[in-house]
Amino acid sequence: MNINEKIKVKIVGIIFPLLLLILWQYVVSAGYVSHHILPLPGSIILKFVRLITHEKFLLHIAVSLRRVFYGFFIGTLSGFLFGLLIGLSRTSEKIFGPFFHTVRQVPLIGWIPLIVMWFGMNEFPRILIVAIGAFYPTTMNTFAGVRSVPTQYVELASVYGFNKIKLIRRIILPSALPSIVTGFTLSLGMSWVLLVAAELLIETNVGLGKLIDVGRETFNMELVTVGIITAGLLGFIMTKIVERLASGTQKGRVSDQKK
Amino acid sequence: MALIVPLLLLVVWQSAVSMHLFSPLLLIPPLTLINTLLDLAKSGDLTTNIIASLSRVLIGFLIGASTGFLLGLFMGLSPFVDRFFGPVIKGFKQVPQFALMPLIILWFGVDELAKFVFIAIGAFFPMVFNTYQGVNDVPKKYCELARVFNYNGFHYLSKVILPSATPSIITGLRFSLGLSWMLVVGAEIFGADSGLGYMMASSRNMFQIDIVMAGLVVIGTIGFGINFVLQIIENRLLRWRFISDNGAKGNS
Repeated sequence: MNINEKIKVKIVGIIFPLLLLILWQYVVSAGYVSHHILPLPGSIILKFVRLITHEKFLLHIAVSLRRVFYGFFIGTLSGFLFGLLIGLSRTSEKIFGPFFHTVRQVPLIGWIPLIVMWFGMNEFPRILIVAIGAFYPTTMNTFAGVRSVPTQYVELASVYGFNKIKLIRRIILPSALPSIVTGFTLSLGMSWVLLVAAELLIETNVGLGKLIDVGRETFNMELVTVGIITAGLLGFIMTKIVERLASGTQKGRVSDQKK
Repeated sequence: MALIVPLLLLVVWQSAVSMHLFSPLLLIPPLTLINTLLDLAKSGDLTTNIIASLSRVLIGFLIGASTGFLLGLFMGLSPFVDRFFGPVIKGFKQVPQFALMPLIILWFGVDELAKFVFIAIGAFFPMVFNTYQGVNDVPKKYCELARVFNYNGFHYLSKVILPSATPSIITGLRFSLGLSWMLVVGAEIFGADSGLGYMMASSRNMFQIDIVMAGLVVIGTIGFGINFVLQIIENRLLRWRFISDNGAKGNS
């Protein structure tokens, strides 16, 4: 694709959002829709700029990010270890696998009432639900990655007399890495979705989800829309960061192939 | 061996109850859970709530998935449509579903309509992307062959594009329906006067942990049932694939 064509693609991509914006601006300023229901694009941007420099707004975001970080960390770490365990040992797969797949059938949000009853309305259940969300994708992708290590590699390792730890570190983990990294990205997406859900469904004072809901309670549409946009942006940025880190881990692989 | 963990869990559970390690408000004996399930089923509460949740999912899912399917199809068929709608859809996809709930409630109220919209939006995205992927990945030679045979638009779709894209579309259906099931529970916990999520949330407020746990069992079972049905449909629709695979093997 040459540069001219690339520009053309960009222009076509811009038409629809632009049309939407114009339609939006028109229906509100012409009075078809009240600006209480649909604030003008300009006033949303103003609100965004005003909020972004506001200490409280940043605090909400910081609290949400902290929850996601802890939940994601706990969930992916335990998911990785568990996936490794059932991936490496067929016995443990037979023992834990069926139970794992049964429990997995429960939609994640469904755990919220039970978790709240057990642990109360505090920080822990919110982090726990994020961790559960992060746990499944990492477990499953680690398991799949470990299982798809080519048998030749394992045989080669046994020829060289690798012990168990060396086998895992030198053969299994590098080979399973792409799949594990995919698991991390999926886990991150799930964590972010569940965080917002947890902040809505488990009573709290701070957090981005709560902020959006405060906007609803006070009928502050600008706040609601800014909150939604921020949630989308933060999710996007975090995914990009994880993807960047992930492509970093793939570097050795690519150069291997080039040789 | 598959029974070791569940059995162990049952033993620990029962002994924790017998030794009064936890308050009965927090942990009920396994047998009570079964009794609660039976009681709920007998009183008809369970059926009413299941039907309420399922009908919400069904309507929301049908709206969201069919729109997603059509848009994904057109985006896969025409690069122009893809470039036109693609960026906006990808942008909206970044928003976590639950962030939209307050907005949807402000716009559509707290009744059924808001829930349909909420579920439909959730069901839409997996369907758009997987349909698009499936249609986009149809091997070029199939399309060329269709042109050689002078297939008209309808035949081209029904004989070439859709069969080839079916596996990806079914993956989309599975994600879409699974997500819808999760979202309906969330929407009902947030605010509803019927449904399984409502049943669990209101029991939590009244500290009836037996009903909360029974609710978990039921939504898990239905989640499993949904997956199971989709698996059957998938095997049905893709039977020709296995047949042709076997045929290829026979020839070689």
